[in-house]
Amino acid sequence: MTLLTTFRSEILKTKRTASFYLTIIAAAFGPFLTLLDVVMGEGIPMDDRAVILNKLLVDRFEMTGLVAMPFFIILICTLLQQVEYKNNAWKQVLTSPQTRANIFIAKFMNVQLLIAVFMITNLLLMFGSAAILHFKDPSLRLFNQSLDWNGILQIRATGYMVLLAMCTIQFWLGLRFKNFIIPISIGICGWFLGTLLVIPMKSPIAAFFPYSFHVYTNLPALKPELTKICWASFGYAALFLLVGFWDFRRKRMNG
Amino acid sequence: MDNTLVIKTSGLSYQYSRDLKTLSDISLQVERGSIYGFLGPNGSGKTTTLSLLLGLLKSQQGDIEIFGQHLSANRINILKKIGSLIESPSLYGHLTAKENLEVYRAVYGASKERIAEVLNIVGLEDSGKKTAKKFSLGMKQRLSIALALLPNPELLILDEPSNGLDPAGIIEFRELIKKLNREYNMTIMISSHLLGEVEKMVSHVGIIYKGKMLFQGTLPELHQLQHTGSKLLIKTSDNEAATKLLSGYEPQTEGDSISILLPDQKEVGAIQRTLNQNNIDIYLLQPKKNDLEQLFIDLTSAQS
Repeated sequence: MTLLTTFRSEILKTKRTASFYLTIIAAAFGPFLTLLDVVMGEGIPMDDRAVILNKLLVDRFEMTGLVAMPFFIILICTLLQQVEYKNNAWKQVLTSPQTRANIFIAKFMNVQLLIAVFMITNLLLMFGSAAILHFKDPSLRLFNQSLDWNGILQIRATGYMVLLAMCTIQFWLGLRFKNFIIPISIGICGWFLGTLLVIPMKSPIAAFFPYSFHVYTNLPALKPELTKICWASFGYAALFLLVGFWDFRRKRMNG
Repeated sequence: MDNTLVIKTSGLSYQYSRDLKTLSDISLQVERGSIYGFLGPNGSGKTTTLSLLLGLLKSQQGDIEIFGQHLSANRINILKKIGSLIESPSLYGHLTAKENLEVYRAVYGASKERIAEVLNIVGLEDSGKKTAKKFSLGMKQRLSIALALLPNPELLILDEPSNGLDPAGIIEFRELIKKLNREYNMTIMISSHLLGEVEKMVSHVGIIYKGKMLFQGTLPELHQLQHTGSKLLIKTSDNEAATKLLSGYEPQTEGDSISILLPDQKEVGAIQRTLNQNNIDIYLLQPKKNDLEQLFIDLTSAQS
């Protein structure tokens, strides 16, 4: 049985679940707040008017990377696995002719697919926010401004990479615990602690704590360390995928 | 392996914790084309055995052969030919009947037409856009059976499938099982603690208690055992004297009566004459009820 068949099965299971709606709502969080800020706040600084489009699409993604995306990952990693626990379906999954490796990888791919949907939706909605801004203030000449595609893609790729470690930990916890409160609580506490370690405490431990990595994309002073953090995140992701798979293989599925 | 055997286990043992042995030396033999009733009270090890057969639990001791192949080495190939329902239905409540089947269709390599076929077999072809969470328990059970039938399995393993069904649902379900066995030549292994219910549909029986097999054979063999163990209940004007007179029948006191082993019903007349000739009045002379339920209780209480 191919991995793609198992992956297809996983996608079909998410039809009409809260996961899809959560993805869209979480993706809209950043663009919506940005729009509110620009329209109802103090407006656009003079220096930014000529490059406002890139400011929206690059700099404003930081808000998404700092709050919306980590919370989305914490929730989605748990919700997707709850489909099996809530419906008492693990037994059916594991007695079907699929290897545990394929099931594990397909479930992880499903999480990554929704993260990709999140990021694409977020980008499109940010374009939508820019369009609204253009109609509100045509003097900005928004659509005549050049797009920094390199910056747009780089900030998103980095944002994804630094969150990969947290994503694999949450994915493992979501698979492991029947009670969804546990992985969500661990995720939210980890996010708070991780943020505290970097911003107010400036602790050196933060460079080794996966739940701190998302802050590194947002603070200019820490950006030189970003490459190192990306590699650390990748390393943790590989480690926790192996740990998660080992745990998944040996686990007795009663739910 | 004997070609007629679909399932063969030898010396199967399993323990969840070091101190507690859940299964001990289970040797199952399920013949092709049979309906095998796997009986035992709750907690006797039925679900553990079936979980081992389906690879949900890893075998610790002993060997499992299904379709003549070792489960440990050919799990995926074996599972392609098995449909199963372990305890309660495993359905996605937010999906319709068709969508639930579609989730597994490609996994089992079944055609799109097969979905309509299995829904038709279980009588759910008109369930439409109703999601599974809105189904009655009987409908959920039938959809679970449809899911188990999706791969057109050679072997169907059903764990306590009658749980929660009302009497009409149980009869309907029994007819479905018989039909699958008769028309589609499926070998069916069905576990239950409802002995009277299983007796009406199975051809073979295995009885498990506290993780050990007490009996395995055909239903007629079980009935033979049932007759061998028949008892006669006697109440007389002098039970003490009657006990002495009937000492060859191993009499036992049961309240204000005595019970004796009855190897042959023809002996009832001889017993009656013996008691009358010794001036003992007979108040009650009644074969003791010894149906499958009683036999099951006798077998299990003999072990405990």
